[in-house]
Amino acid sequence: MNAPISTPGVATGLAAPAVPRTAGLATIFAKELRDAVRSRWLVAFAATFALVAVGLALVQQEGGVASQGFNRTTASLINLCLLLVPLLALILGAGAIAGERDRGTLGVLLAQPLTATELLLGKYLGLTAAVWAAVMLGFGAAGLLIALVSPVTDFGHYLLFVVLSASLASAMLSIGVLISVVSDGRSKALALAVVTWFVLVLFYNLVGIGMALSVASSGETLLLSTLLNPVEAVRILAILSLEPDLHVLGPLGAYMHVRFGAATSAVVLTAAVLAWAVLPLVAANAIFRRQDA
Amino acid sequence: MLSAQGVTKRYGNTTVLDGATFDLQGGQVLAVVGANGAGKSTLIKSIVGLMRFQGRILVDGVDVARDGKRARGRIGYLAQNPAFHVDLSVRETAMFYARLRGASEERAREAVEAVGLGGHAEKMVGALSGGMRQRLGLAVAQMGDPALFILDEPATGLDVAARLELRDFIRAQRARGKSVVLSTHWLEDVPATADHVLVLDQGRTTFLGPSSEFVRANAARSRLFFRLNGHTAQAIPLIAAAAGEEVARNGDWLAVTCPTGEKVKVFEALVEGGITILDFRVEEATTADPQAVGGP
Repeated sequence: MNAPISTPGVATGLAAPAVPRTAGLATIFAKELRDAVRSRWLVAFAATFALVAVGLALVQQEGGVASQGFNRTTASLINLCLLLVPLLALILGAGAIAGERDRGTLGVLLAQPLTATELLLGKYLGLTAAVWAAVMLGFGAAGLLIALVSPVTDFGHYLLFVVLSASLASAMLSIGVLISVVSDGRSKALALAVVTWFVLVLFYNLVGIGMALSVASSGETLLLSTLLNPVEAVRILAILSLEPDLHVLGPLGAYMHVRFGAATSAVVLTAAVLAWAVLPLVAANAIFRRQDA
Repeated sequence: MLSAQGVTKRYGNTTVLDGATFDLQGGQVLAVVGANGAGKSTLIKSIVGLMRFQGRILVDGVDVARDGKRARGRIGYLAQNPAFHVDLSVRETAMFYARLRGASEERAREAVEAVGLGGHAEKMVGALSGGMRQRLGLAVAQMGDPALFILDEPATGLDVAARLELRDFIRAQRARGKSVVLSTHWLEDVPATADHVLVLDQGRTTFLGPSSEFVRANAARSRLFFRLNGHTAQAIPLIAAAAGEEVARNGDWLAVTCPTGEKVKVFEALVEGGITILDFRVEEATTADPQAVGGP
């Protein structure tokens, strides 16, 4: 505290700047992306995913199914992806606003020429870009190695699965951001995110659907059960694209396949995943705009 | 530059800010004074648009509630305990906020230099002292050359030298035609910096006027306690005459309140009256509660 405080720009006569309309959104997006890249979570996720994917490909090659190339590896990756991507996305999303609130930085951010919507959207888009990058890095590294050891077939399915994983990440990030907005602290938000992950990924398939059917046993209940869970919707979409076998699809997927056919089911499920990527974010924004910082 | 009309904030049935109304012209400084919980921070946060409120606040003609982003573009805000991302360096923090405010890299660098943090530009925010963070907060507040500065308890945690520098900073902004709203519970900051004073007590405005008038009405006072070696009955009228106030008696102790600048007169009166003082205590009337300062 020995240098005096003065006013910048007085000596040089710099004019007051005008704030560009998109400066806030772009700046928050860039910072969120940069923070995620610096974060070890994301690097660890990409590396783990690539390693497991390569490992699966190598194991299958040893087992004599190498000729099935990407298709077999993709099928093997579905369960891994449905476990890991939601967990990563929910945790990152849950920290978005609650973390700023915990650190006390939320007030300083919102005191800038920035709307609450720009802050929320900038964070969501930055995190989405970061998770997409991690998913693509993981799948990309694995895909490259698989292509080196086995014939390149069914690459389209592999790419489709990358897109599905990215879409699932967007939907779960959206839910994570909603959790973040309604939580008054980071630890509460993270706890809620883990509970949500447990319910959507583990509990839902094992118990939830059975409970729903016992209450109201109908095709509509099955359809609603699918659409109400983005993880389930992506799982059925992935299987539908690979091999629409009724046994592999499970009760929900089998019902949709029989009732609507593969194409219509794919459209309905895609719409459901997109809705999950948008609607929680819209709700989060509506709540966040009404909160005091 | 700043107009607040009937600004009210309620939580359920509790009113924490009740109809605050004032106007502040360019080049003027308003001190918002009150005890903790009086509603100072609520008013400050309402002006910046960090809180929803009833009433109307215009910053340079821009409605804070309707167009908060544009209004905040005209405001430089220093929070009571400014918090920044601890994993960014001082330079990165300045660049980040410069981009948010549409300021250039050059302006960010200048702002850091201007608050004396040029030598700490690569230091992580997490490694800065409280005073340095306050300086970084001032650097961020100055980016974009705002017309209105909102400073929430800026002197909190600063040493005497830093507080004097802060006063210089406020005077410099006033000289440049900028407006400043300053919340404080240090009454001595008022005559040194403010043109106008708004006193809040439990959310209600109890005084709004020129600082000279406020200072006259709230001159610092001291509470004096004496234990004398006999002659108490003789001492009471002497003390009362010197202090201009009634003297209270509690056991061996006598107590009286007088203007701080005149407390020596009470001692002189006792000494001249030949009364021996065995013990004494002086309490400065607290500056945290302007209502208490006005009288015992």
